[in-house]
Amino acid sequence: MALKKQEQRPVAEKGEHIIARHLIEDDSIKEEKNLVIDGVDVSGRWNTFILSRVDSEFDRSFFREIKDTVVGSRINRCWQCGMCTASCTVTPLYRRFNPRAFIYMMQLGNLKELKKYIDVAWRCVGCYKCSQRCPKQVNPAEMMEALGLLIKKYFPEEVQSKLKVDEDVKKIYDDMILGHGRLDLAKLHTSAMQKTGRTKELLGKIERDAIFKMAKDGRAFSILRLGKPHNWNSSKEAMGNYLKNLNTIESSEA
Amino acid sequence: MAENILVVGGGPAGLNAAVMLSELGVNVTLVERDSFIGGNPKKFKYKFLFPDMQPADNVIGELIKKTESGGNIKVYYSSEVSDFKENGKKFDATIKSAGGSETKTFDSVIVATGFEHFDPARDAKYSYQLFDDVIDIKDLERMMGENNFVRPSNGQPPKNVAFILCVGSRDRHIGNQYCSRVCCTISVKQAIELKEHFPDCEVYIFYMDIRTYGFFEDLYWQAMEEHDVQIVKGRIAEITSGPNNTVVCKGEDTLLRGPFEIPFDMVVLASGMEGGPQSPEISSKLGIELDEHGFLKPENITLSPFKSNKAGIFLAGACTGPKAISDSITEGAAAAMNAYTYAVKNR
Repeated sequence: MALKKQEQRPVAEKGEHIIARHLIEDDSIKEEKNLVIDGVDVSGRWNTFILSRVDSEFDRSFFREIKDTVVGSRINRCWQCGMCTASCTVTPLYRRFNPRAFIYMMQLGNLKELKKYIDVAWRCVGCYKCSQRCPKQVNPAEMMEALGLLIKKYFPEEVQSKLKVDEDVKKIYDDMILGHGRLDLAKLHTSAMQKTGRTKELLGKIERDAIFKMAKDGRAFSILRLGKPHNWNSSKEAMGNYLKNLNTIESSEA
Repeated sequence: MAENILVVGGGPAGLNAAVMLSELGVNVTLVERDSFIGGNPKKFKYKFLFPDMQPADNVIGELIKKTESGGNIKVYYSSEVSDFKENGKKFDATIKSAGGSETKTFDSVIVATGFEHFDPARDAKYSYQLFDDVIDIKDLERMMGENNFVRPSNGQPPKNVAFILCVGSRDRHIGNQYCSRVCCTISVKQAIELKEHFPDCEVYIFYMDIRTYGFFEDLYWQAMEEHDVQIVKGRIAEITSGPNNTVVCKGEDTLLRGPFEIPFDMVVLASGMEGGPQSPEISSKLGIELDEHGFLKPENITLSPFKSNKAGIFLAGACTGPKAISDSITEGAAAAMNAYTYAVKNR
């Protein structure tokens, strides 16, 4: 009877038997559910290892790698004053998005720490306030691009699982860039409303008032005068090819 | 009749004071405890001086040359002021040297007894003297002066080096609460020199604040922007031995709240400046005031930083607090002017 009860016992969670389990991060625990060594069954808690929770090296190869990119060439200048994070538009919304800390992690090659921020590391909206205010001209806004590339290179699986590219949104952006040569905020707005199922609101009072106001102060018509960027046709072709290549590369990788 | 002025200490401040006074035609008596003049820069063979990396010899060598060639400077080597008495507005001092004792009357006195490098062995957490590869900035300066840039333990070039700032400074536990002013700049200067010598060597600076004041900031920027010297915020709490003949620095990365234990080939401690045993000694002998930091106390720190609390006795250089060589030289000249004025007034 007792034996049967044991068989029904659910499989233990990883590191479940560790007394102060809450102090240890999941990634730091190594435990094989089924492991037999020399005929001895050491499954589960019998093979638990806890990795060192102390950083034991500074890996400067990442620093070199970032420094060799165009956007990240000034990483060596950063002295961690925090002007970028203080200026940041995104940080008040996502406290975990911290350009200063990301630059520091890149400087010291602390990928273990960086890995925790894969979901927010892409949140930079490119307002460039940080780059304008940075006292050392590090250009943190573009450094965030370097960060994106780094994450994509070193954590492809996590990026795949945590960041899903919305094909519809991607198409809206691609069409907009190729069609107009610049971001079309009006179109972006209507697309977003449509996508979130708020099409009706587009004809509501708030929207009508806004359109009327913009028509009155001339902003709506200034768009017409803007036209396309200089020498757009050749740029458009190059950009189209680039997007096409990118798509094929991404689909072949997948 | 020419004035007689006593200068105690033959470092940058004392030498410059002596040279200026001799140019004014004063009979200068220079008392130096070592068998050579030039002070700590000479003793520890400083090679290049910040901020412009000029050879230390340009400065110290020049002062020594002027002192030796200036006709009316009498230098007593390996000597000390053994007895000191006020004589009206003048002073009677006995100078004891290998050649015996000599008593003279002086119109005024300049004290330029300088500083001592903090001995990092007093702070056990840094394991100085326990591991060969843990050295301090004066050791590295001497090694550079001797063109000997290698790891002390095995003579190999280091692959990664850590500088630790505020050793023996800003630390109540060790008894020195003040900032030693120049160690940050010396550290970034030496970091640049190391990177120039070993471009593949990674250099890290562990700091709490980096205080490269004034234009010395340029050197700090240069270290980061041209030589990729990496600064890491956090003080080191422990130095232990590591694998493959390394020394491990244990500390906290205060910007990421992460503890670390990183092995380094070589650790350089930016040890600060102290008043040394000579400051209380000269203070009690001459009857001038000592401050709470163990340096000599100026009469008014802002208005007259070169005057002691006793009329006729003037202070110059690092005996009143941590100072760069240029500041010491400036104060030497200031003290010389004041000592001369006092002597002429009371002729």
